[in-house]
Amino acid sequence: KAWDDDAANIDPEDEVDDTDDVDPEAERASWKLRELKRVRRDRLAIEEKEKEREEIERRRNLTAEERE
Amino acid sequence: RQHLVASGESGEVRRAGLEEVKTRFEYLVAKREEAKAREVVDLGERIEVARE
Amino acid sequence: MAHHADAKRALDERGYTGSLIRGDNPLKLFEKPVRDRIIESYYWKEQCFGLNAATLLDRALELTFIGGTYGVAQRPTPFLCLAFKLLQLTPDKEIILFYLRQEEFKYLRALAAFYIRLAWEKDAEVYETLEPYLADARKLKRRTREGWALTHVDEFVDDLLVKSRICATTLPKLNPRLFLEDEDKLEPRISALGEELEELDGDDGESDGEVEE
Repeated sequence: KAWDDDAANIDPEDEVDDTDDVDPEAERASWKLRELKRVRRDRLAIEEKEKEREEIERRRNLTAEERE
Repeated sequence: RQHLVASGESGEVRRAGLEEVKTRFEYLVAKREEAKAREVVDLGERIEVARE
Repeated sequence: MAHHADAKRALDERGYTGSLIRGDNPLKLFEKPVRDRIIESYYWKEQCFGLNAATLLDRALELTFIGGTYGVAQRPTPFLCLAFKLLQLTPDKEIILFYLRQEEFKYLRALAAFYIRLAWEKDAEVYETLEPYLADARKLKRRTREGWALTHVDEFVDDLLVKSRICATTLPKLNPRLFLEDEDKLEPRISALGEELEELDGDDGESDGEVEE
């Protein structure tokens, strides 16, 4: 039931297939890849923040003289 | 008045609680399964008919 | 508590007496043009009228795709209309959790996740409630402005947690996970990859993270 659709608007060729468990192994592998990317992204964010913190610390420790 | 509320015509909608939500869910799931089973039977009959 | 089936009345500033989210009428979480298009849509008028949290399931179990608006006319998807209906109903938390936790209907789960991201006000709770579904690899069909795209429950949940805009909606501000960890409001996330993580990590460290299809 495609409410509000101009019938001509939908090209069935365009539609993607959302059937699960067609190829469970491939589906699991592609999930693993997505999850791995998320884990890495989050880790990178932590490293970035650490670096920032160290930089602030380093500057704080510089004497006035060194700063010039 | 009761009817109006039930049909939503009064513009007021009764709030549903968790139990009602669960009951509705079970009911809808059962209905879908029945429909699926019927489809299988229908298909089986059609094959029978075709064979004859 | 009863609500009025007519959304126009719910959007009338002076008369609004319903529940509040972040101190405001929850329907305003959707932008005005989107709200107008929803209220004018046939699906909203014919299929969403008079629904409550129980009868909404009649429609939600029929969902076959997610999305915001589509086409030149920027029509709202049924998914968006039902999310709008949920904002109008603001069902109890336990009902939303029931929608989210049931296993059979992935589009109902996606709808609940979207609602939680929009409506729940405690950031840590949003992360804790949604993150388990980063392990749900099932496919989701998404209607885009011009066509269709494939996404997954985990991907959609991640989008909800890191993006600021999705499904024609600007999401309310959510503090980054890291910020909440620093404030001791959240424990670090444990990936569902578990021990596999180390393996995978060691494996393709040099190959730029691309695993064969």
